[in-house]
Amino acid sequence: MNSSPILDIQDVQKAYGTFQALKGVSLSVRQGEFIALVGPSGCGKTTLLKQIAGFEDPSSGAIRIEGQDMAGIPAAHRPTSMVFQRLALFPHMTVAENIGFPLKLRKTPPDEIKARVNEMIALMELKPIYLERFPKALSGGEQQRVALARSMISSPKLLLLDEPLSALDVKLKKVLQAELKRLHRSVGVTFVHVTHDLEEAMMLADRICVMRGGRILQLGEPADIYYRPADPFVAGFIGETNLLPINVKARDAGGITYESAEITDTTTTVPANLVADDVKSGPALMMVRPELFRRLRDGETADCAIDATVSEIFVKGGTVQYRARDTMGRDLAIEIQGTSQLPMQPGEQVRLGWDKKDIWVLKPEDV
Amino acid sequence: MDQAIDRRWRDPELLFKALPSVVLQTTCFLAPLVMTFILTFQRTRDFQLRWTWDLTVWTDVFSKPHYWTILGHTLFMAIACVVICIVLAFPIAYGLATRFKAIENEIKILITFAFITDATLKTFGWVLFLDKKGAANYLFAHLGFPPDIVAFLFTDWATMLGMVYNLLPFAIFTIYLSIDNIDRSLILAAYDAGASKFRAHWEVTLPLCKPGIWAGSVLIFLLGVGVFLEPKVLGGGKSPMSAELIRQTFETRVNWPLGAALTLVLMVVAVFIVLLFTRMLGMKRAGFGT
Repeated sequence: MNSSPILDIQDVQKAYGTFQALKGVSLSVRQGEFIALVGPSGCGKTTLLKQIAGFEDPSSGAIRIEGQDMAGIPAAHRPTSMVFQRLALFPHMTVAENIGFPLKLRKTPPDEIKARVNEMIALMELKPIYLERFPKALSGGEQQRVALARSMISSPKLLLLDEPLSALDVKLKKVLQAELKRLHRSVGVTFVHVTHDLEEAMMLADRICVMRGGRILQLGEPADIYYRPADPFVAGFIGETNLLPINVKARDAGGITYESAEITDTTTTVPANLVADDVKSGPALMMVRPELFRRLRDGETADCAIDATVSEIFVKGGTVQYRARDTMGRDLAIEIQGTSQLPMQPGEQVRLGWDKKDIWVLKPEDV
Repeated sequence: MDQAIDRRWRDPELLFKALPSVVLQTTCFLAPLVMTFILTFQRTRDFQLRWTWDLTVWTDVFSKPHYWTILGHTLFMAIACVVICIVLAFPIAYGLATRFKAIENEIKILITFAFITDATLKTFGWVLFLDKKGAANYLFAHLGFPPDIVAFLFTDWATMLGMVYNLLPFAIFTIYLSIDNIDRSLILAAYDAGASKFRAHWEVTLPLCKPGIWAGSVLIFLLGVGVFLEPKVLGGGKSPMSAELIRQTFETRVNWPLGAALTLVLMVVAVFIVLLFTRMLGMKRAGFGT
């Protein structure tokens, strides 16, 4: 495997008139990696993908693919291939013509096109009888496979996916996510996948790049993003979480010492590996994921504890979610495994405990 | 699907709902057509219709090459007009749908205004422009060209100019609509697949405009075989076209049976040509069905 990055983006900016869609994005993608660009709409993720594909040119900055500067190289001549949000299958071409189109443009002999189309059909597990049909006659999932086959047939170095699964229903989405993962493993092509669905990104990607307002907020492995978010936005975007304010009294190489009005704890220190690098003395947030809470009965203890009143219960199959209000009037999200026993009732005063080894301390947004 | 169609014929409610359209089609389209057909088996004598029920008119129609020369000329003019209109309309419509998106509405309003201005008025306007002492020659003379350089009024060229001028908006609007409906990402997908601008145009934009081009062509062809104003005013009536021939037969010669027969011949031939082209160009596939 090549150790040099296949895709190297350096300080790319893109402005549409006065609107700054990308405010200096740098990103390096390794050969064979599956990277997900995640963020809310308007965060610049699709804009970034367009610059990589060559549909638009960045206002400044450089994009290199396999070390070659892509400036001025049109989409047609880049070793990239895009799977579009609305798939963009040509309605006037049959499935076979659609899949073979990139090869036809490269003046490949018809016999070879046919052979390659059949290979792609087999790879995407599409039935050969579909070849002579028009895309409209296929189901959403089948069209998706055709779009993937068309993108893969020219053996691109980079496969760019622009939210291709966003229009599908949940069940089909799951199937195709598994399919994408399988495809990525079997062909070894580098995937850049844009999505606003973080769960999807966590499932599929080797690394996740969280974007907001034209900047990269955090780039890391799914576990990094989930357990060690760079800021409250990432923490909240990844899924429901609880951010409890604390006051950092001292920061040193060993970690932090803090105080908190509501949290009852055995020690007031957090080791350095559970604290974000940019946390300094002053206000900070302790992130506690909903699944970390457990109910403390009388006499039971935990590293940390908080008093709250249960307000609502949602039974979600394997887990039960609760809403509770702490003494400061803050809403807490709690998730407890197992539905056989409902250990808390609405209105009940409870003491919630959690272990310090699973927390994460980060900087509040405005500091 | 078959079951659904079967049901429709037996469902009294659906039949009742179809009634207005059936009545309208019968009284306004089918009945006049049948009456025209019946008329062709009669004769006229001393400007009076005689109910004779024979084939005199039809033998007349099929034995005189004059009628067929005029028909051929009409079809040629209509087809030439279709070709010219499509060739002119495509870049206009394409520009409208892509490059001039910002002032698209203003342009559309201008075209519509020109379009809804009475055709007679516009056609006579061209006479003033193309006349020997008209605006065009005046303009060219002042630009240093030899006098009377514009001298094609009262020829087929002038007729064609008038036809193209009056029928062009049909092609512009139908083609514009089909270009406007093309998903932009289809074009990007073509580039992404490795297509040059020309190739993307040829392989994606043009085929997807086929329905629009086709609709415009049919409209212009059918209207084109029926023109009488342009050949009369701009062509000077020197080489009449079918519509003028039919008008003369009805009005001047007061030979209704012959007029009816000529009308039917024109209709059948025009419809036949449309069907022939539909089959030849594979327009069924343009619906992108299964």
